[in-house]
Amino acid sequence: LGFCEAFTLVRDAAKALIMIAFGSSITEPDVYRQCAEIGIKRAMEPDSEIRPMPSVGSIFRSYNALLDEFAGREGLEALVLVHQDAEIVDPDFCAIVRRALAEPKVGLVGCVGAIGVRSIAWWEASVTCASFINRYDEHGGGDLPSFSWAWNDAPAYARVGEVETLDGFVLVLSPRVVDNVRFDESLGQFHGYDLDFCLQVRDGGLKVMTADFRAIHYRQLEMVPDPEQWIDAHVKVAEKWDGRFGIGAGPGSWRDRALRAEADTEAALMLAHMNSLESDARVLELKRALAETTESISWRMTAPLRWLSRSAPKRRRPELTPRSLITNADGP
Amino acid sequence: LIAFGSSISGAEAYRRYAQPGIRLAAEPDSQVLAFAAVEPVGRTYNLILEAAATRNDLEALVLVHPHTEIVDPGFCAKVREALADTEVGVVGCAGARGAQSIAWWEAEVVCGRVRQRYEEYGGGEIESLSWARRQAPPAEVEVVDGQLLVLSPWIVRNVRFDETLLLGHGFDVDFSLQVRNAGRTLMVADLHVAHHRSLELINDVEVWVEAHIRMADKWNGTLREEPADEPGWKRRARRAEARREAARAIAMSESLKLDARVLELERELEQNTSTVSWRLTAPLRALNRVRRKLTGHGEDE
Repeated sequence: LGFCEAFTLVRDAAKALIMIAFGSSITEPDVYRQCAEIGIKRAMEPDSEIRPMPSVGSIFRSYNALLDEFAGREGLEALVLVHQDAEIVDPDFCAIVRRALAEPKVGLVGCVGAIGVRSIAWWEASVTCASFINRYDEHGGGDLPSFSWAWNDAPAYARVGEVETLDGFVLVLSPRVVDNVRFDESLGQFHGYDLDFCLQVRDGGLKVMTADFRAIHYRQLEMVPDPEQWIDAHVKVAEKWDGRFGIGAGPGSWRDRALRAEADTEAALMLAHMNSLESDARVLELKRALAETTESISWRMTAPLRWLSRSAPKRRRPELTPRSLITNADGP
Repeated sequence: LIAFGSSISGAEAYRRYAQPGIRLAAEPDSQVLAFAAVEPVGRTYNLILEAAATRNDLEALVLVHPHTEIVDPGFCAKVREALADTEVGVVGCAGARGAQSIAWWEAEVVCGRVRQRYEEYGGGEIESLSWARRQAPPAEVEVVDGQLLVLSPWIVRNVRFDETLLLGHGFDVDFSLQVRNAGRTLMVADLHVAHHRSLELINDVEVWVEAHIRMADKWNGTLREEPADEPGWKRRARRAEARREAARAIAMSESLKLDARVLELERELEQNTSTVSWRLTAPLRALNRVRRKLTGHGEDE
């Protein structure tokens, strides 16, 4: 695209850059209110513009509509695209973003990224930064903090810096990207939009970076609820880039690759069956232990005590988010 | 005469599982061909086939994995019934139609009363291939499970296991395809069997993947239609790679969901056992455990 050079010319207008805007594409207003809106209000500055936009179709199309709204906007310092189910947790988010975008060549910033990426399954590559919590509702709910959620406990490979792709649940776009790059609506409804966008930004000569901000992603544990759509998107993105930036590349002839991938697929399915059997056995063991507690004479004898305990004023339910970590001053 | 054969890689497993099953199923004149395992499994099985082939009165040869226990007193009668059709070459307790690889359990599964007994997590028993949608036998299949193979005399004398399959996995699929190539059919009969095995279905995934590839190489065009040209292979590779990563993501999701389910129960158990009442009655339970140990009874407190 070559838009990087063109935009170097307008950097002189830096004095006009004053506002960080936030945009969301909304299909479920309640989810937006409970997740994204809370984070945006925490992160925004007094002059920040917030654009919660009802979805206009695929995420590609909806995000393009947001980009069209902000393109050419005087005073735009960055546009932050936030999934309706993502909550930014850093009150100093804008300062972090500003630092990351201070380098003119930076086009995109996120808090989860990877290198060595070959497909839309970027998590199969070498992930360098994953500063988020996956919060789920199933089975009584819980949190799955990723490896750089708490930097003081992060592995040696965790770092912020240049990456090949970002997870799209929170994306920070520089003004030049807002003006010059669009999501490719031919790729489908949802999957692969973030990788393809990152590739376009890099193709235009700009950098994609991770930065030290954190977010909570409120999502179910199912990663691929629509496998056929996901597979179609995987193939489309591989065909589109066809080896450029390593996307769709792989060792061996096409025949070798087909046979190996087919074997790997069935190995993955077998491991899933194995996990399921093991989990069923563990569940059975726990149910036996639970039955032992609730069917014993001592349990039945002490039922009045538990009744009294239940009648007492409720204790506060423990908070899921480790808030202490949110306010930790540790960093990468 | 119905003969029983086993390739014994673990003497203890054979003694505990296969042997009692063979004793239950065998008839007074049954011959037992228990051979020490020689790698690969096909080589030992071929030795057993050679030995069985010398018997002119052979009605069937039953190859039993050392961890497989026949729990069916009517086993021999069922075998005779299944082999009454002279077109039938192999009978099994589980199998599939439409198998495209050594992972035959991903195809259209036919399975009778086959149970898996495991020792982990306090032990237990589940239906074998519990994840698959299974059709009840009897039914003709294309591939049978190698845990238990019943061979007709014609097969014993005319078909051999491929000893070049050094990695072990998929020997049953290969043998099944050879049987079909030889013009005989395969059946799953309602044979009652228990597999005594770990919940870990496989402990050498890399080897399994290599075996899968070699089998696809050997039987390409039979197991799956082969693309006509390079663009055809490219399309197949692209889709296969996409499916692989979807399968991995789905497996990861499933694993997370299962962990969450276990965590939920662990929380509940912890809640129950951390109550004052539970702690107060701990001495009572301790006493009961001692009493049960002394009397050998497992009754409630």
